Amino acid sequence: MSTDTDGTETGDGRTILLIGSGPIQIGQAAEFDYSGAQACRALQEEGAEVVLVNSNPATIMTDPEMADRVYIEPITTDAIAEIIAEENPDGVIAGLGGQTGLNVTAELAEEGVLEEYDVEIMGTPLDTIYATEDRDLFRQRMEKIGQPVPGSTTISLEEGEEVSELTEEDLHERVQAAVDEVGGLPVIARTTYTLGGSGSGVVDDFDELLARVRKGLRLSRNSEVLITESIAGWVEYEYEVMRDADDSCIIICNMENIDPMGIHTGESTVVTPSQIVPDEGHQEMRTAALDVIRELGIQGGCNIQFAWRDDGTPGGEYRVVEVNPRVSRSSALASKATGYPIARVTAKVALGKRLHEIENEITGETTAAFEPAIDYVVTKVPRWPKDKFDDVDFELTTAMKSTGEAMAIGRTFEESLLKALRSSEYEPDVDWDDVSDEELEERYLERPSPDRPYAMFEAFERGYTTEEVVELTGIFEWYTERYKRIADSTLAAQEGDFTEAAIAGHTNATIASAAGADIDTVESEVPGRTYKQVDTCAGEFEAETPYYYSARKNEFESGPLIGDAAAGELEVDRDVESVIVVGGGPIRIGQGVEFDYCSVHAVQALREQGIDAHVVNNNPETVSTDYDTSDGLFFEPITAEEVADVAEAADADGVMVQFGGQTSVNIAEPLQDEIERRGLDCEVMGTAVEAIDLAEDRDRFNALMDELEIAQPEGGTAVSKEEALELAHEIGYPVLVRPSYVLGGRAMDVVYDDEELETYIEEAVRVSPGNPILVDDFLEDAVELDVDAVADGRSVLIGGIMEHIETAGVHSGDSACMIPPGSLDEDTLGRVREVTEDIAKALKTKGLMNVQLAVTGVGEDEESKVYVLEANPRSSRTVPYVSKATGVPIAKIAAKVMAGETLESLGVAEQIPEHTSIKEVVLPFDRLPGSDPRLGPEMKSTGEVMGTASEFGTAYWKAQQAAGNAVSEGTAVVDLDVDGFEDHFDVEAFDDVPQAIREGEVDFVVSRDRDSLEMAVEEEIPYLSTVASAEAYVEALDSFDGELEVAAVTDRPHRVENWGE
Amino acid sequence: MTAAYVALEGGHVLEGRGRAPGTAHGELVFTTAYTGYEESLTDPSYEEQVLTFSYPLIGNYGVREERFEDDRVHPRAVLAKELTADVVDWLDSEGVPAIDHLDTREVVTDIRDGGAMKCGIAVGEDVTQEDALDELAACKSMSEHTDIGTQVSVDEPIVHGADNDGPDVALVDCGAKGSIVDSLLDRDATVHVLPYDVAAADVDALDPDVLFISNGPGDPANYEDAISLVQAFVEETPVAGICLGQQIVAEALGGTTTKMTFGHRGVNQPVLDLESGQVVMTTQNHGYTVDDPGDHLEITQVNVNDDTPEGLDGIQHDIITRQYHPEANPGPEDTLDFFDDVLAMAETHATTAVPADD
Repeated sequence: MSTDTDGTETGDGRTILLIGSGPIQIGQAAEFDYSGAQACRALQEEGAEVVLVNSNPATIMTDPEMADRVYIEPITTDAIAEIIAEENPDGVIAGLGGQTGLNVTAELAEEGVLEEYDVEIMGTPLDTIYATEDRDLFRQRMEKIGQPVPGSTTISLEEGEEVSELTEEDLHERVQAAVDEVGGLPVIARTTYTLGGSGSGVVDDFDELLARVRKGLRLSRNSEVLITESIAGWVEYEYEVMRDADDSCIIICNMENIDPMGIHTGESTVVTPSQIVPDEGHQEMRTAALDVIRELGIQGGCNIQFAWRDDGTPGGEYRVVEVNPRVSRSSALASKATGYPIARVTAKVALGKRLHEIENEITGETTAAFEPAIDYVVTKVPRWPKDKFDDVDFELTTAMKSTGEAMAIGRTFEESLLKALRSSEYEPDVDWDDVSDEELEERYLERPSPDRPYAMFEAFERGYTTEEVVELTGIFEWYTERYKRIADSTLAAQEGDFTEAAIAGHTNATIASAAGADIDTVESEVPGRTYKQVDTCAGEFEAETPYYYSARKNEFESGPLIGDAAAGELEVDRDVESVIVVGGGPIRIGQGVEFDYCSVHAVQALREQGIDAHVVNNNPETVSTDYDTSDGLFFEPITAEEVADVAEAADADGVMVQFGGQTSVNIAEPLQDEIERRGLDCEVMGTAVEAIDLAEDRDRFNALMDELEIAQPEGGTAVSKEEALELAHEIGYPVLVRPSYVLGGRAMDVVYDDEELETYIEEAVRVSPGNPILVDDFLEDAVELDVDAVADGRSVLIGGIMEHIETAGVHSGDSACMIPPGSLDEDTLGRVREVTEDIAKALKTKGLMNVQLAVTGVGEDEESKVYVLEANPRSSRTVPYVSKATGVPIAKIAAKVMAGETLESLGVAEQIPEHTSIKEVVLPFDRLPGSDPRLGPEMKSTGEVMGTASEFGTAYWKAQQAAGNAVSEGTAVVDLDVDGFEDHFDVEAFDDVPQAIREGEVDFVVSRDRDSLEMAVEEEIPYLSTVASAEAYVEALDSFDGELEVAAVTDRPHRVENWGE
Repeated sequence: MTAAYVALEGGHVLEGRGRAPGTAHGELVFTTAYTGYEESLTDPSYEEQVLTFSYPLIGNYGVREERFEDDRVHPRAVLAKELTADVVDWLDSEGVPAIDHLDTREVVTDIRDGGAMKCGIAVGEDVTQEDALDELAACKSMSEHTDIGTQVSVDEPIVHGADNDGPDVALVDCGAKGSIVDSLLDRDATVHVLPYDVAAADVDALDPDVLFISNGPGDPANYEDAISLVQAFVEETPVAGICLGQQIVAEALGGTTTKMTFGHRGVNQPVLDLESGQVVMTTQNHGYTVDDPGDHLEITQVNVNDDTPEGLDGIQHDIITRQYHPEANPGPEDTLDFFDDVLAMAETHATTAVPADD
C-alpha cells in the first residue's frame, strides 16, 4: 500500500471496487447513494480508478460519469466475482454500501474470491465486522477494555440441532436461564445478522418471549437469539467517530434520541448535538467511543450507540449498546448536520490518508482532523408509510418501519422541530376533537407513534402540564417544556400575538390561517427569516461552502427582510442567472430516491449551461443535499413561503418544481401566487402551472383527450355515494376507484360489485364535494405502459416506452417492467408515440412528461387499442430507470429545455437499447407485520432493481436475483393457474400451506392466498402473487442458462432510433 | 421585559433580552463548546472578559456545584441566544449580568472578523443604550489589567493531598482551574497551591519536585513574579505549565508571546504531535500565544489549524508545557496523560539528581 507523508495523492493507479447497497428498503435508504457518490468523487480525487456495482438504477452513484466503470448488476457473490475477474481491482471498500455491502464482501472473502483475485479489503478489516455483528464477541471485546455493556446472553442451537426438534421444556429451560442471566424481564430479544434491527423487541411476557425465541432461532443466519438487559427509559445516544491509520480519532458529533431507549434510532426523533447530557457525561461517552474504535481497529467512519441516564453523579451512567463499523443512515445525518463529509473522509482514510492531510472543503483553511462545532440545533423526524398500510400497527418499537426522514436546522429546538415536522409532510389522520382525554393519554401519549408529537401539542392546548406529559411519554422534561412553548405560541397566535409563533418556527401562512388573519398583516408583525451558514466550526473560521439554513430574527425586529438583510450570510452570486431546483423531501412509498436522482440531474444540467443552481430540500440521506452538488444548498421545508424566501434571498430568476415528485409539484400553484404577491422577478419554469392543473383536473383532462381523439377508459367523478354507484352502473363492473389528487395510488382499488363499492366509499375514503372520487372502467387483461418523454414546446423526445409485466390492477409503481417492450407491434408503438406527442403538445409541455397507457387486444386477433390512463407533465419515478436502460439522460435534457434550450439545439437523439432491462420492485412486507403482501392497485414497494441481458428471460432472472426473490429448486406451492413450475420444483399440495411454510417444508410460494403469503413473508421465503409475474418467472427459469452476462453500463449496445417510428 | 444592551467597540449597540441585571464591561470573546457551560463560567481565565456562547442553548442540564472549576463565576457578563432559568438564577445570584435572544452568530462572526474587542453591557428595567456605551468607555484592554493575578489567585498557600506518596508539586496559581489540582491529586501528588506572586524563597522552602505554572487570564507579560520564579528554578527543578503557564515559561526562557486576533476558545482544537503524527482534540481558552519559543525550548506539538505552538519541551532542562488544557472540564479527555508525563518527569529528575546512598 502506498502511504505518503506529504499529502499527495494516495490512490495513484489503484483500482478500487465500491459496492452499493442495492434497492431502497426500510432500514437502508438513499443514504448509501449519498455516501457512495461522495466516496466515488473522493477516490477519483486521489487518482484511483473506481469500479462501482449496484443493482439500483435510481441512484446517482450508478450514473456512468460517477465512476470509471459502472455495473448495474445483482449484488450477489456470483455477479461480483465476474466483475472482479473482469476488472481486477486492487482493493474493495466494504464499509460504504450499508449492511448489504458488508455482507456481500464478507461472503466474497469466505468463498475465497477476494484471495483468488488478490483483492485487499481496504479500511475496516473483516474481523472487526464480525466482532461488531456477533454480539457475544462484541461483548467480550468491550469487557476487555472495561466498557460497560447491557447484560446479555445468547440462546443458540447446537451443531446440527433443528428448531423443530426443540421440545417446549428444553426451550423453556434455555429461555429461563437466559432471562435470569440478564437480570429478569423485561428483556430485549434480538436476532443477529439483520438489517435495521428487524426481529427485535422489548418483551415483558415470558410466553411471548418463548414464541419470539423459537421464531428467531429459525430465521437467524447463525441460529442465535440474543437476550439483553432492557434499558428502556434510558436516553439513547449515537456518536459518529472517525479514525485513521495513525490512530488519530475524532468525534464528528453526537446525536440524542428524544424518544427514550427502546425505540429504534431510525424511528426516533433525533437531535444534534445532545442537549441534556452534561459535559462530563458527554466526555465519558466520547472517550469510550474512542477506546472502542481503537480496540476494534476501525479505519474510517463508525457509529457507536450508548444508553445514558442521570444517576446523580456529575457525569451520569452509560452503557455501550452497539457499534456499526461503517457509514450508516446516522452518518449521513451526521454529515448533513455538521457539514463533515464522513463518506469522503472514510474513502480517503481507506486509501491510507491521515485525517490532518485531508482538507476540510467547507472552510478551505482547516483539515479533517477536527471535531465540528455547531451553533444551531438539528432535528430529524422519520417518515412512516402509515397512509399505505391500514392493517399495520405503527407503534414505534425496536424494529424500523419508517421509509425515510426529514432533517431541519434552527437556532432553537422549537424552530428546528417545527421545521422538521413540516418537512416530513405528515399529517395525523386524527380529528382531535373526537379524541377524549383518556384516549389522548392512552393511545397517543403513552404509546409512541408517528402521531405523538402532534398529540403532545394537543395535550398542552388542552391544559396538560409539562410534568403530566413527561409522566405519560417518558420524554425528558427539557424537550417536553419546549413542545409546550410551541403549543403556547400557537394559542397566542390565535389570540392575535403572532411573534412567538413565528419565532417558534411556524410559517406566516400557518399563523395567518390559525388566527384568521391576512398574510400581509402577519408578515409585517413578525420577525423575518434570514440565512445562516453551516460551516463546521460555529463561526470560528470563514467558510466557503454555500450550505445554508434559515432562522427567524429575534423579536426586536419585525417585518420581512429585503435584499442583503434577507440574504444574511448568503454568499451566492445574486447578480448571475440562477435557478432553484425544489427537491422531493423525505423518501416515502411512491416518492423515492428517483426524485432525488431527477433533482440532482437538473442541478447538473443547469450548471453545465452556466446557470447557478440552488437546491431546496430537507432529506439528509440524499445526494441533492450534499454541499457540493449545487451552488447553494438550502436545508428547508418545502412550502411556497419558504421556497419564495429562498428565491428572494438568492435573487433567483426561476424555480423548477418538476423534479421533486408530488412534493414539489404541489407547491407550483401557491408558489406562483406567492411570487406574484411579493412582486418577485422570478418564474416557475417549464410547463405552465395551469397545464399541470389541467392534467390533474379530471373533467378538463377528459375534454382535452376527447378533443385530441385519444381513447380513455370510460369514467367520471363522483362527489357522493349515489353518484358513484350510478357511474359504476353506466360503465359496468369491474371499476377502478380512487380519490382524485393521489400520490402512489393511495387508497386506489378495483371493485367488482355494488357491495364492494359501498364498502370502499364507507371505509376507505370519505367522499364529499370537496373530496371527489374517480370511477373508471377497469381494463382487465390490458397491457399497461409507461412513457417518459421530454418536450420543448415544439418537438418531443421519447426517453423510453416501458411495458409492465403485471396486468392492469397492479399499481404501475409495483409492477415489474421492461425496456424495450416485448409484446407490442410496430403499429401499436407508433400509436403510443402519436398519443404521447399529441398530449405533450396540447399541454404545451416544457420539460418532462410521463404518460400511462393501457393497450387492449395485445396478442389477440382483434386490433389493439391504446388508452390513456394518466398524463403528468413532470418527472416520474421511472426517469432514472429509463435513463440507465437507454443511456439518454432525460432529466438533464428536460432541465436544459426548461432553461431555454430546444431539443434541436441540444442535438439529442432517442436511443433504443439492444438489450432488455427489467425493473423489479422490492416490497416492505417483512418490516410491516400484518400487511397484505398481495400486489394490487395501491403502491407498496419501497425500491427497485434493474437486471439487464440480451434477452428477456435472463434479464428477468437477474432482476429477481437482485431483488432477493430468485429460487430455482426445492419444494414449491403453486396455487395460481400457471404451468411450468413442475419442471424446476417439486410442486406439492399441502392441506395447510401456512403451517407447511412455517415448518420449513416449502421453498417457494406462488399464490394469492393472503395467509400463505403472510407466512412466506414472515419466513422469508420467495413468493409471487400474480399470474403475470409467475408466467414471467417460468419463462426466466426455462431460459436462464447460468450465463449472467455481466457488463458495464457503457458497454451495453444501443441504437440511435426513434421509438415507434 | 428587562431591557438589555451590548455596546461593541466602535459604538454599535445590540439589543437583547435582559435575564440577569447589572452593568459590566470586558473583552468580548466567544467559546464554541456546546457542553460545559458550568465549567467555562467558573474558569478563572475568563476574568475581565464577556463570554459569548456560540452554541445557542445554554443551561439545559441545570447547574451543579460539583461541576465548577472555581468558587465563583469569572466572566463579567454572559451573552447567549437562549439561557435556561437555572443558569440565569445562578448568574443572577452571582451578580453577573446575562443577556439572551441575541443573534450570537453575528456576535461571533464580528469577533472573528474584528478580533476580540471591548464591550459594555447594561441590563435592567430602566437601562438605556447610553449606559452600555458608558460601560464600553470604561473598558480597558486585557494587557492593561496589570494586576489581574490578584483577582484570581489564592491569597495564601494551600496544600492538597499532603499525605499522598507522589511528587510534591508547587502549583503557581495564576487562576488555576480546579481540574488541574484534581488531575494531580488523582495521580497521588501533593499539590501546594501558591499565590501567583509567591517569593522564590517560599518555593525553595517547599523543595518541590516540579514547579507548575497554571493557566490564568490576561497578558503573560504581566506575571513578572512567575517569570522570575521559572528563571530561578529551571536549572534544578523540572518545570511544567498549562496555557498561560506555557507562555510564562517561554517568556522566562528568552521566548516571546503575542496577542492573537480572537484566540482559541472551545473544545475542538486539533493538536498534532510532531513525533507520533497523531492528532488529538483539545480544550483551549487563550487569547495570547507563544510566538517564538527562544533557544531553550523546542516545539513538540502544533495546532493543526494555525500552526501555533501547543506543546514545548526544554532542550537542556526538564520542561514540558501545553498551550491547551489537558485537564479538560469542559472538553475532551484525550490528553490527560500530560499529568502522568509531568509527574514522571518529576520522579525521574528526583532519582537522577539525588546521589545514591552508597
